[in-house]
Amino acid sequence: MLAYIIRRLWQILPTMAGVILLIFFLFNVVGGDPAYLLAGKISNPEQIANIRKQLGIDEPYWMQLLIFVKQVVTFDFGASWSTNEVVSQIFATRLPASLMIGIPLLILETIIAVCIALAVAYVRGSFTDRAAMVTCTVAQSVSILVYIIVFQYVLAYKFGWFPVQGWGNGFLENLFKFAALPILIALVVSLAPNIRLYRTFLLDEVNQDYVRTARAKGLSENRVMFVHVLRNASIPIITNLMIQLPGLLVGLFLIERFFSVPGIGREVILAVERSDFPVIKAVTVYVALATMLANLAADLLYKAVDPRVELK
Amino acid sequence: MTTAAINPNNPALGIERSPGLWSLAWKRLKADRIAVVSMVIVIAFLLLSFAAFFGLIAKDWNKEIAINYAPPTLFKDSHKPAADLRPGAATDAGPAVDGAAAKPEFINDRDPLREVIIELKAQLGQSTGAADSGIKIVDPLADVLTELRKQLGRTGDGAANVVEAKRLDYLPFGADKWGRDVLAKVIQGSETSILVGFAAAIVATILGTVLGAFAGYYGGKTDDALNWFYSIFSSIPYILLVLAIAAVLKQKGVVTVVLILGLTGWTSIFRLVRAEYLKHKARDYVRAANAIGASNLRRMFVHIFPNISHVVLVQLSLHVVLFIKSEVILSFLGFGVPVDTVSWGSMLNESQNELILGYWWQLAAATVFMAVLVTAFSLFTDALRDALDPKLK
Amino acid sequence: MTTPLLSIKNLRVKFRLDKHNSFEALKGISFNVMPNQTVALVGESGSGKSVASLAVLGLLPKENATVDKASSIEFEGKNLLTFSNAQKRALRGSEISMIFQEPMSSLNPVFTVGFQIEEVLKEHKGLSGKAARDRAIALLTEVGIPEPAIKIDSFPHQMSGGQQQRVMIAMAIACEPKLLIADEPTTALDVTIQKQILDLIAALQKKHNMAVLFITHDLAVVGDIADHVVVMRNGEIREQGAAIDVFSTPKDDYTRALLACRPVVDSRPKRLPVIDDFMAGRADAMRLEQRSRGVKDSDPVVLEVKGLCKDFVSREGLFGKRVFHAATDVSFKLRKGKTLGLVGESGSGKTTVGLTIMKLHDATKGEAWFEGKNIFAMSEKEFLPYKKRIQIIFQNPYASLNPRFTVGQIICEPMIIHCIGANAEARAKMAFELLAKVGLPEMSFYKYPHEFSGGQRQRIAIARCLTMKPDILICDESVSALDVSVQAQVLNLLQDLQDEFGMSYIFISHDLAVVKYMSDEVMVMSEGNVVEQGDSDALYAAPKAAYTRKLLDSIPRGLVATVG
Repeated sequence: MLAYIIRRLWQILPTMAGVILLIFFLFNVVGGDPAYLLAGKISNPEQIANIRKQLGIDEPYWMQLLIFVKQVVTFDFGASWSTNEVVSQIFATRLPASLMIGIPLLILETIIAVCIALAVAYVRGSFTDRAAMVTCTVAQSVSILVYIIVFQYVLAYKFGWFPVQGWGNGFLENLFKFAALPILIALVVSLAPNIRLYRTFLLDEVNQDYVRTARAKGLSENRVMFVHVLRNASIPIITNLMIQLPGLLVGLFLIERFFSVPGIGREVILAVERSDFPVIKAVTVYVALATMLANLAADLLYKAVDPRVELK
Repeated sequence: MTTAAINPNNPALGIERSPGLWSLAWKRLKADRIAVVSMVIVIAFLLLSFAAFFGLIAKDWNKEIAINYAPPTLFKDSHKPAADLRPGAATDAGPAVDGAAAKPEFINDRDPLREVIIELKAQLGQSTGAADSGIKIVDPLADVLTELRKQLGRTGDGAANVVEAKRLDYLPFGADKWGRDVLAKVIQGSETSILVGFAAAIVATILGTVLGAFAGYYGGKTDDALNWFYSIFSSIPYILLVLAIAAVLKQKGVVTVVLILGLTGWTSIFRLVRAEYLKHKARDYVRAANAIGASNLRRMFVHIFPNISHVVLVQLSLHVVLFIKSEVILSFLGFGVPVDTVSWGSMLNESQNELILGYWWQLAAATVFMAVLVTAFSLFTDALRDALDPKLK
Repeated sequence: MTTPLLSIKNLRVKFRLDKHNSFEALKGISFNVMPNQTVALVGESGSGKSVASLAVLGLLPKENATVDKASSIEFEGKNLLTFSNAQKRALRGSEISMIFQEPMSSLNPVFTVGFQIEEVLKEHKGLSGKAARDRAIALLTEVGIPEPAIKIDSFPHQMSGGQQQRVMIAMAIACEPKLLIADEPTTALDVTIQKQILDLIAALQKKHNMAVLFITHDLAVVGDIADHVVVMRNGEIREQGAAIDVFSTPKDDYTRALLACRPVVDSRPKRLPVIDDFMAGRADAMRLEQRSRGVKDSDPVVLEVKGLCKDFVSREGLFGKRVFHAATDVSFKLRKGKTLGLVGESGSGKTTVGLTIMKLHDATKGEAWFEGKNIFAMSEKEFLPYKKRIQIIFQNPYASLNPRFTVGQIICEPMIIHCIGANAEARAKMAFELLAKVGLPEMSFYKYPHEFSGGQRQRIAIARCLTMKPDILICDESVSALDVSVQAQVLNLLQDLQDEFGMSYIFISHDLAVVKYMSDEVMVMSEGNVVEQGDSDALYAAPKAAYTRKLLDSIPRGLVATVG
């Protein structure tokens, strides 16, 4: 077990190195000279040279790469190019807002999606099942943008049930007032794909031999579905959940942007609009690291829920 | 291949050829009513975008053919003169803004726009002025966007370019801010979306399939290297990677969008194709091919590929849908197609501002077109999967 | 005469395939199961025997299966088909219980075996807590699981196949059912385990006064245990009667063929009689004409394998490796025109040996001398010209033909690769000849593999090998997946081809009787090692190794006394 974890952590290193190389290639090689971007219109050669020196991009590539690696290891990406806020500070202050929307969303979404998926899997093949699946397909086909625009306009702007946008200071105020509509919209958007996915997981199990055995034992259909099938289907469902976890860090960037939620997702969009490279680089590298750790956690959890899995 | 080997003089040639697995799948597909309907819709969209691509229809989408924000009309008589319309639209928007102002508790106390909103109340009635400030109420980024649009030359040049053309009496989807026909715009938007969706899906599918085939078939060092490559791309959340690439690529254009989506979207295809090759290379028919001396490439592409091509086809189809949706979001954010190309995303962007003023038709047009295409394509993909792999059902 | 426990009358079951087509799996079958009796339902694939058993428990798939209204399945005088779902459920697992073919997939992988046994006790007996656990341990003891108090908390995958099937049996007898349905319970198991499970079922049947409905494709298996035999084919009953009568004086030609076409260890007819032979009435004469086997030192050696070893390495722990010795120090000589039988249970390494000789695996150690050259030392490229000289026929005929190729393409491909035949026309002509040789109609050339049955596909695979005129043909369980009647036809074909072309066979199988029938020399393998090798008649008559004796003892004897 411990050996497995150490080996997996060891394997993260080359991938991390690859991520760093990719980001470096994108921003330092393809991205061009940011000095011109920063200096703006009033650029004179002196100013540009000065900025280049500050950013360290007058150094050769290998030196720049070393600087980047040092930044990653020390968690010190310097300051944002556009706001001069320290990047680590941006992380610390923006993360709570993203999590406040993401965590309740993940919990609600999973509970509701699993319940509905169980219901449709229970009546599989019936008209209800097919109608539900077509509804999901149609619901998935409408752009998330439309949901946001329409819900914001109708529920917040027209009816005034929720604030149109913004963010407060208090925890409860944020959760129940400002985060409510964003969570609701994200929930509506994410339900359809998740119901379809979880239904497939359940139906994969329904056709297994052990289900036939359970029926041959004289168990009720409820017990077959809720004990035997659900327990087995929970394995891919939990894996799917773990894979979604790193997404919490990026937040729901569109929703954060529309509702002016000071989260990481909105910060990323602002950074992209402003070509604020340090922020994008930092977010990408650390979210990638978080993804790898989440994958490792998913595999460990996998072991816990599936007795067949052996960690080698 | 060896089908050519059939001796034309052979008496057996009179026999009707047996249906292969593809024609059996096609038969199943044709028997599925939902599949046929969705296929017809997808083909209609394809024809529409081909026609638009070759300039047969919707060529003049950029021309001003009606008054600003003309509502949807089907008949000449219902077409009201501009003077009647504008105040009407403004009063429509009026109460809504009133409501927002009357309940200030719903607006963040720190909201810098609070004063603006109250101020706006007084200004209402001067419709054109209200329009732009109205946007601000909902969208604090309106400034940024206007700025962005100015940079891209839309408000300046775009408006200037609009040519006074003959006014149409027939506007099923109304007109936009500059009096352009929304129907023509939405058709142009279909062309962009379908072009981007298909092109990017083909790039991603080819990349994912070829890399996946080599990784799965050869295993060992090749697999390790390609898996390393895969894990780099898959450990960065998709949308973050797309935005990161969008941030560094300066020039905007359809090709850029296709490359961004194609170069980031291959990972799931790689994973699936690799798994299929791993599974199939151990199958007896591949071993048998090895036993009769078929080379590695022959085994990979002549033997295995036809047997996994249904997986690739379904993935291609899924990714078209995924990329159409992604393109809309990218264009909405202004990282997608350039301003001289219309896209459903940019239409949604405009409609966001129009909605507060009560001009709902651009939003409706873009939403309906996109939803119909994507729904039809998704249903078709599901039917395709069932037809190609009846076991799954 | 007592009243039957289970009485099936005129049972018809239809499956809907799609909107327009349906398939009648059972065409009105009737038979009885008396209390305390073992009834064997015997039939080859597609006979509908499993459908009948699922119909009894009401477990047919609801979506597409319909039972005819005129049918009846009476259990203790009550028609099960009229039962409500709740009534059926109360019966399942308590009065009637069932065990299935694949014990691994039939047990829920994420629950302990104890949980799964206690679940039945809870459902039907109302037992819970310690009482249920004690009863479960007692049941595990009864079915012969060692250390039941510990094993009760293990998961199915931690047990062997035989133990899993024992757990299934424990679950089935937990509520002392009156009827136990066993659907091919030993087919997935090795021959030694098969014997243990059969003995266990027979013992439990006597002890608990159960009736057993035993479903199998293999008549030989039921010879020991059945009181009454029902022979089915294509959804119809061909013959039924007391086991002793059916075995000694079968009336139906099909039954007679089924009994005769399975090779037995103490007789080796020149050709195996198949159904056609019985229809033509020449089967009895055929059985008298015996073939003698064995090798002489003067027979030329085609292939000599010395010290073949094959290890598989897997990663384990931080830097550790685990080496699995799939085959260790295997040596043999293969003589021209002769057959070397390779026999062993699953995991014995017999298939590994076959694949390594073909260089489908790289040998870890050892030499294989073919025409004065060591083929194990050759590179892939050097080996290519030799590839066509050594060919292989795989076990599963459904997997070994590329489903996207027509039969013509399949047969012509090796000719294209090895540049056999002047042009496409000549190749097609040769393909037609080979199709005729393996007994397939000419029009097969234009068809796809999915249009053929298992036996026909195996013929296609044989035709594909014949294009290259190999010196050595490796048959890796090539007839194991086939029904016995088809198996006999393919064995006859292989024998005819050997007689005609003088090929040498390496015949790999888990079925001792089939290996004995086909082989001049036999090599017995277990866990990667060669246990015993030698002349086949001598080895079967006087096995030296204990393992060989155990294997031979496990062959179902039911038929041996009556046939041959």
